[in-house]
Amino acid sequence: MKLIRYQTSPLFSPASSYPGLRDEMDRLFDVAFPALSSLQRDGFFGDWQGEFPVDLYQDKDAFTVRAELPGFRKEDISAEVADGILTITGHQKTEAKSPAKDKATGTATQERRVSRSISLPENLELEKIQAAYENGVLAVTLPKREEVKPKQIAIEVK
Amino acid sequence: MNTLTKKEPQASTETAPRRAIVPRYNVEESADAFTITAFVPGVDRTALETHVDGENLTVFARRTWTPPAGWIAVYRETPNADYRLVLEIDHRVNREAIKAELTQGVLKLTLPKAEAVKPRRIEIKG
Repeated sequence: MKLIRYQTSPLFSPASSYPGLRDEMDRLFDVAFPALSSLQRDGFFGDWQGEFPVDLYQDKDAFTVRAELPGFRKEDISAEVADGILTITGHQKTEAKSPAKDKATGTATQERRVSRSISLPENLELEKIQAAYENGVLAVTLPKREEVKPKQIAIEVK
Repeated sequence: MNTLTKKEPQASTETAPRRAIVPRYNVEESADAFTITAFVPGVDRTALETHVDGENLTVFARRTWTPPAGWIAVYRETPNADYRLVLEIDHRVNREAIKAELTQGVLKLTLPKAEAVKPRRIEIKG
């Protein structure tokens, strides 16, 4: 028999996991896009360091991730779940106003890429995840799986 | 930039239920206009107020979304605040022609320059 300590999802408990989660996300990001932190680019969007704030909510039916990603088009945002990790990516290419501005690449386009990964608890209905983008905020709804109802076991007292 | 200087938010007389933060913003100048771009994610078109009062251009943007009943915030990174940006504008801005545009949390304000200050080419005759 295995005894599992009762705990609310370790990821979502705010007090204990806040610094750890944050660090983990930062590290993940640094690994994925090492060039971004040192890259100095012109423009308002270009100097955005690839981070965006995320809020997590939960009610009895679902978790909701709300990510602030202003200024993207809907088609430039992707959200995917793989191996228990939700990854939200915004990737946009815009025409720079003056070609001379983007000296680093020598092209007339300006690229903006932001990404964030969040590991998910296990009891989710992955097929029913939904996402909506409104007013620059992406809301991802992650429905919880129907919990197994506690069974009553009759114990015979001798 | 000299002409568009940020003003410290002053204590407002109106009843403000929530605190307001200065949004991330940028000012660009071209030959015939100033363009202000500000990040105001979570703001609906209806919750945006822009007005010019004397030398001050004030943008107030209220976050329209509130968590539905029964929702518990388990992890927050965004501030629970509205946005307020006060910029000082001078005679070079044509106040009548200021335009605002809000797309997916990005506010773009176009402040056309007054005709008098636009660069004018003077033809030399003879």
